[in-house]
Amino acid sequence: MKRMNRRDFLKRSLGTLAGVALGTGLDLPEAFAQRRPVKQGPIKIGGQAILSGPLGGYGNFMKMGAQLAVEEINTKGGIAGSQTEIEFRDEELKPDVAVKNARYFVDNWGADFLIGCDASSVGLAVGQVMPELNKVLIITHAATEKINEDLVYKKGIKQVFRISVPVYQDGIAAAIIAKDFPVKRWAAISPDYEYGYTTWKMFRETLKKFRPDVEFIAEAWAKFGTVDFGPHIGAVMPKEPEGIFTTEWGGEAITLIKQAKLFGVFDKAKAWMNPMGAAMDVLEGLGAEYPLGLWISCRYWFLYPDTRENRAFVQRFQKRWNRYPHYVSETGYSAVYAIKTAVEKAGTLETSEVIKALEGLSLDTPAGKRVFRREDHQAIYEVPWGQTAEDKKYPFRILRPLKVIPANDYYRQPPFA
Amino acid sequence: MKRREGSILNIILILLLLVGLALLPQVASRFSIYLTIQILLLSLLAMGFNLLFGYTGLLSFGHAAFYAIGAYAAGLILKEATPSLLLAVLVGTAVAALFSLVIGFFCVRHTKIYFSMLTLAFGMMVYSLIWKWRDVTGGDDGLIGIPRGTLSIPGLLQVNLHSMESYYYFVLIVCLLSTLFLHRLVHSSFGLILQGIRENAERVAFTGISVQHYRLLAFIISGAFAGLAGTLLPPLENTLAPAVAHWTKSAEPVLVSLLGGAQTFAGPIIGSILFLVIKESIVRHTEYWLIWFGAILLVLVLGFRGGIVGFLYENVLTRLRR
Repeated sequence: MKRMNRRDFLKRSLGTLAGVALGTGLDLPEAFAQRRPVKQGPIKIGGQAILSGPLGGYGNFMKMGAQLAVEEINTKGGIAGSQTEIEFRDEELKPDVAVKNARYFVDNWGADFLIGCDASSVGLAVGQVMPELNKVLIITHAATEKINEDLVYKKGIKQVFRISVPVYQDGIAAAIIAKDFPVKRWAAISPDYEYGYTTWKMFRETLKKFRPDVEFIAEAWAKFGTVDFGPHIGAVMPKEPEGIFTTEWGGEAITLIKQAKLFGVFDKAKAWMNPMGAAMDVLEGLGAEYPLGLWISCRYWFLYPDTRENRAFVQRFQKRWNRYPHYVSETGYSAVYAIKTAVEKAGTLETSEVIKALEGLSLDTPAGKRVFRREDHQAIYEVPWGQTAEDKKYPFRILRPLKVIPANDYYRQPPFA
Repeated sequence: MKRREGSILNIILILLLLVGLALLPQVASRFSIYLTIQILLLSLLAMGFNLLFGYTGLLSFGHAAFYAIGAYAAGLILKEATPSLLLAVLVGTAVAALFSLVIGFFCVRHTKIYFSMLTLAFGMMVYSLIWKWRDVTGGDDGLIGIPRGTLSIPGLLQVNLHSMESYYYFVLIVCLLSTLFLHRLVHSSFGLILQGIRENAERVAFTGISVQHYRLLAFIISGAFAGLAGTLLPPLENTLAPAVAHWTKSAEPVLVSLLGGAQTFAGPIIGSILFLVIKESIVRHTEYWLIWFGAILLVLVLGFRGGIVGFLYENVLTRLRR
């Protein structure tokens, strides 16, 4: 052991004293900042999702994912040394309720971050008040392109990020897949609201560019909460479409497919595309009843990518909740980790610094590498399309073969003209 | 003498409430102010509704339509035309009144369940219209980025309402003036006739009064106040979506009036306070808030006959006076 002589001792003491003096008054050296927790008390994350009504399952799935991430982070020492706390509220799919939740979280509960938002209208409404609340919001589901293109890019609301894919996946990527089909006559059976219209429009515009020979011959719009798709199928099928494009989701996607089977749609049409068809609730809901060979996708599918990280995530999720992860589980999970990474990179909870840390951040997540695009705060990552196939290992359909298009090839790019 | 004691107690209570409301921004957090604005809006909507329900005896299940029409008219003016709050509020209210005239014209020919069903149908028609008319209303994505606007009367006044506190005072003043107006209205001969119609429409008709005209007038005033409440919403939220026109929104004034006491003037106000405060407290403790909220409302509505205000009035005030 090395002995410390008097001179050394003096030097060190002075050094420490100087360090303390500097530390209190002036800019902290990097090493000092790292050792202090960024916050006294826990870092608080306010989550909101749809937790009641027929779509309440979505919120629960999202909660499971986010909860798992918080538990993992806390057992490993928290975010930058601070424990993490998460609380959930029901957004009820109502923008005014969601705005109230956001205000409660930030102004009353003391949230440092917000995550969640299922409905597009909810994402837009909450995004709109983020400059006033001045905390970072990471959207985990709401898919409208207006969030990244209008709110973030055009209006410059920098507090909003989205970790899940936008409607580009549903409309544009679908068309890039469909261009290789021997299908000329397309029809749509889709939800009678903004999401349905936008995706169908993107699909048509993109497909027409690749395939000037295709025709769009029929469309039927189903109200939110439709239980009988007979009239919609009946309106479309007599026009003899060769391909059907639908963005029905949740329980309605299940109902539509069951009824389309009864009407013999899958014998008559050559192709069926549903960008929400690979969501875990639809896969599990239909089980072996899901016809084979349909083209489906979602926002994360639990077997893709085939990496150690993703396999481990699915395993941990199953161990904790005894379920397969839904895509909203993965986006909720990754949103919490994005917060952790950004805070630790920024070394502070200061919103402007966290935003800087998130912009351009590259993140290893179960869904693969995600990069938050600087201009519009949209996470860029790949989600596969695939055909429904049977696999003895699972009580539901899996996707095989997969078709993966690089996200940068089909995401709309700024400046969104 | 006994009567006077009651009114002195009333006045003291009202003064305390007013002072509390006026001082609220000094003591409360931004969220509490926001919640209070929501309570004020619901009270205004419910008071308008209750003119028709409690005083005239007509149960409307479509008042969210007028609330939404006022809100969309105001939102569109603020967003597309001019950020003048006063103009948005006035025009929004006028548009709502106009729609009340047209819809009321068809509805007041009927009473009881037929009236309720008709208002429900018209209400959902307005909802569908807002949902479908995407070029104007933005469909289900709604109107986004509505500015709060400024309160300006040329040559007189120019107030920036950017902060939650100043907007709160604006809403508070509008609500107090409306409350005063409605209070005078229901205690005027017009209000007495409405109550007469509620008790026995035939007898009123025999005195030579046109029951339908009075019902229609009550309908228009009621719709106009619902619309006025609606115009105050978009500047608060900065966004507006069709959910405000849905029948579930129409159910709120019905519930709060029953909760507070439909036969009392203060009933809808007290009901609104309880409704939002109870919901807010439950939501903080559980995500399965609906079942608790429903159960508590059920107990309150069933347990307090005539609503909470009515119940207190009957059982406490009368006993105090004895």
